[in-house]
Amino acid sequence: MNVELRKKAKELLKTKQVEMIIGYQRGPDGISATPVFITREEEAENLIWDVYCVYNLSNYLKDFPGKKIGIIAKECDVRSIIVLLQENQLKRDDIFIIGVECSGVIAEHTLASGKESPGELDFDEKCKACRPSTPRLYDYLVSQKDQKDKGVLPEENPYQDIRKFEAKSIEERFKFWQEEFSRCIRCYACRQICPMCYCPRCVADQTMPTWFSRAPDLEGNLAWNVIRAFHLAGRCIDCGECERACPVGIPLREVNKKIEKDIKELFDYEAGAGVDQKPLLSCFDQNDPEDFIR
Amino acid sequence: MKNIYLPHVVEIVDVQEETPDVKTFKLKFRDNVVEESFDYRPGQFVELSVFGEGEAPFCFSNSPTRRNVIECSVKRMGQVTEALHEMDTGDTVGIRGPYGNGFPLEDLKGKNLLFVAGGIGLAPLRSLINYCLDNRKDYKTLTIVNGARTSKDLMYRNEYPVWEKAKDTSLHLTVDCQEENWTCMVGVVPKVLEQIKPTCGNSVAIVCGPPIMIKFTMPTLLKLGFCEDAIITTLEMKMKCGLGQCGRCNIGHLYVCKDGPVFSYSQLKDKNFQF
Amino acid sequence: MLKSITKEDFFTRVGELSNDFEIIGPMELPLKGIFYQSILNTEDLYLGDGFAIEPIKKFFLEPSTRLLRYPWKNEPGVESFSPPERERIAIGVRPCEAKGLVLLDSVFDPPASSDLIPNSAPGAGKKSSNRAGSTYQDAFYTNNRKRTIIVGLACGRPDRCCFCTSLGVSPAGTTGMDVLLFEIEGGFAIEIITDRGKGIFGALGKELSEEEKKLLTSVNNKREDLLEKKIRVPESMDTIFTSDYWDKVSRSCISCGICTYLCPTCHCFDLIDERRIKLRCYDGCSFPHFTLHASGENPRPTKKERYRQRVFHKFDYFKINFGENLCVGCGRCIRFCPVKIDIGDIVDKAPLSKKR
Repeated sequence: MNVELRKKAKELLKTKQVEMIIGYQRGPDGISATPVFITREEEAENLIWDVYCVYNLSNYLKDFPGKKIGIIAKECDVRSIIVLLQENQLKRDDIFIIGVECSGVIAEHTLASGKESPGELDFDEKCKACRPSTPRLYDYLVSQKDQKDKGVLPEENPYQDIRKFEAKSIEERFKFWQEEFSRCIRCYACRQICPMCYCPRCVADQTMPTWFSRAPDLEGNLAWNVIRAFHLAGRCIDCGECERACPVGIPLREVNKKIEKDIKELFDYEAGAGVDQKPLLSCFDQNDPEDFIR
Repeated sequence: MKNIYLPHVVEIVDVQEETPDVKTFKLKFRDNVVEESFDYRPGQFVELSVFGEGEAPFCFSNSPTRRNVIECSVKRMGQVTEALHEMDTGDTVGIRGPYGNGFPLEDLKGKNLLFVAGGIGLAPLRSLINYCLDNRKDYKTLTIVNGARTSKDLMYRNEYPVWEKAKDTSLHLTVDCQEENWTCMVGVVPKVLEQIKPTCGNSVAIVCGPPIMIKFTMPTLLKLGFCEDAIITTLEMKMKCGLGQCGRCNIGHLYVCKDGPVFSYSQLKDKNFQF
Repeated sequence: MLKSITKEDFFTRVGELSNDFEIIGPMELPLKGIFYQSILNTEDLYLGDGFAIEPIKKFFLEPSTRLLRYPWKNEPGVESFSPPERERIAIGVRPCEAKGLVLLDSVFDPPASSDLIPNSAPGAGKKSSNRAGSTYQDAFYTNNRKRTIIVGLACGRPDRCCFCTSLGVSPAGTTGMDVLLFEIEGGFAIEIITDRGKGIFGALGKELSEEEKKLLTSVNNKREDLLEKKIRVPESMDTIFTSDYWDKVSRSCISCGICTYLCPTCHCFDLIDERRIKLRCYDGCSFPHFTLHASGENPRPTKKERYRQRVFHKFDYFKINFGENLCVGCGRCIRFCPVKIDIGDIVDKAPLSKKR
């Protein structure tokens, strides 16, 4: 399928349908993948697509405003492109989505630990909750006929872990998150890798006024992580990039997943489901539950 | 060991409104011992702190030769300057310093000096001009070219009559566009320099102003015959510590806070303007 | 002095020392990784092959240091926080990290030198001297250095991101160490390097036999061979400052702070006033607002300028100022980069022949 991918990329560049293609190439270590930005036809030979292509490349779209960009995207990446389209951060005509069929990507810590044996691949947690392997939106699809059966099976109940956690007492839950967030070093990798975090001036960087402590202590860390989670409510599509990027292993997906679940139950809304749906928090429905106001 | 961040407490004894967005603060040390020992050179700067809001670097705008207070001119810009502009006489702020290299006073001796200032860039030059006037025999002619966007933005207007009357000293004021009742020059600083044609023989040009002015003034000065070593400028960069440690104000391997803020054009050119 | 000591004796001694010293060391948190922490039970001390995520730097140049306390309105005086006094022993420090501390010393604890008097810089008209080094001693950092004894641990299993040997650091290097431990059968070989080291471990263990010494030497000789990653570090990068190489290599950078915060030598910081306290917190050249002026002007407006600054600070500017690279090849920035930017590869492949 890499052959087909490269052929399509070359064609798009040659016919000037796009000025640049954002995709994946093999990293200098010879195992992992890294993002690559291609503007010349011959560079298309470097493009790859396999289980090591973990990144959600839609995060880079904001770097090239007004340019015609081709982007290689799997289902979860496409969902974030949809949210960006819903929120008018992208013009549909400016992007050409080369959809790739995905049967799950690897959990990177198996690579990073240095104890990897590339044969024993471990799929990322986020892929276990993911349903379709064909992106719901694309301009061209590169299908993966040969590898379909290798993928992970979606979990029956994606919110099982969240429910288990909810069953614990408030004190227990708070203690858990205090411990987790105490390790936060405020490197803002979660924000920087997130396609949905596109505010020109993040609340964390504002000084007039300062909204919460910038010191990496528990109080500031809690404020930062909770505020970010709230800003992602109804927008996070669970690409899991924040959790993957976090160098100190904070289970950020669980925070976002909890909000995702509540929103699903309260409003029957799923972020990134379709371009035509209105963003949850910018539309009003008379049937919305109002428990929180009463 | 001394805490290098500990500021001296100073009291605001006077506030002058220079322009619609610039105020000059006169500061007096609370501690007499500090006041006696505190010494600086024109071109150096202090970190001025509004307690609880933060610190920002400001150059000395008065000459050390005529000082019973320290003067800093502050343009309303960000968090610290905003807070400063809200302050009044009797309020206290902190200063630590002096930092930076300052103007090369020894090298300037026996030279014709051309001062080129734009807007609030006159602040460090005012310190140097008055220093030169107080040591008049050490320096030859003093030519001051001072520009601003509008006449309202001209700084230190009460100094002008004194400078105009001083021996072998000339003052050229310019605004960007013609205004009613304006009798001095019109046009941006490089244009005005071309008209005045200041002498380049045995001369040093000292330039301070917004980056865009510095950018266009340098080639003009070279064209007028100033050599690269004879053009010096004082630069502004975002600074936090003033100590050469926080790592953001470097141009190449040089730190503006510690190795500057005064640089010669040749020094910057050598470094390829590596911001 | 080289001795051997059983694991049991070593940990017993550490237990004794914990009465007089704060013990800092690596601790493994399940599923999270290894973290340097204050160790309360000696059995928590992890002295295996794995590396801590954050470098030991965080106990010297802390993620946030409280510098000053300001008076409330109309109250007198600004107060300085006094640096803590308790003496500490940092155990399990890797040679690259200890070397990192030595490099930080040149910034925060520079040697007192008669030609480095503050505010006596040469005239701007003249060429300034090459050494633009710091002339201010930071009381907080210096105090943390003075009160801490460094007990190192030689590396037995470098991972594929490690490239210390390319930067003059050895997996068994003793720079910056008071004591260095080598894991051997049944315990540790222990090399006492300084008097401070002798003070805490001098009375312990037995001299290594000639045979054991030979064995250790042969193991040590092989340590460097275990590193797969080797890079070429140029003397200067001056000629490629304006190259579009920097645009290419920085494109995938997401401008987060992982590489700078986890680096044993990165030391850029921000000063922050919060609730009438002045704090010093980590900051990094990768963040867009690092050099953003209040006026909106930014001399490093894009990722290209910012990433270039990081590489130049480490492999060019610092070398001009202090004669060494500001990198110890620990591999953290590669290991933890969310998009796998490899500074070693970037420096190695820098197109130096290209003209300005």
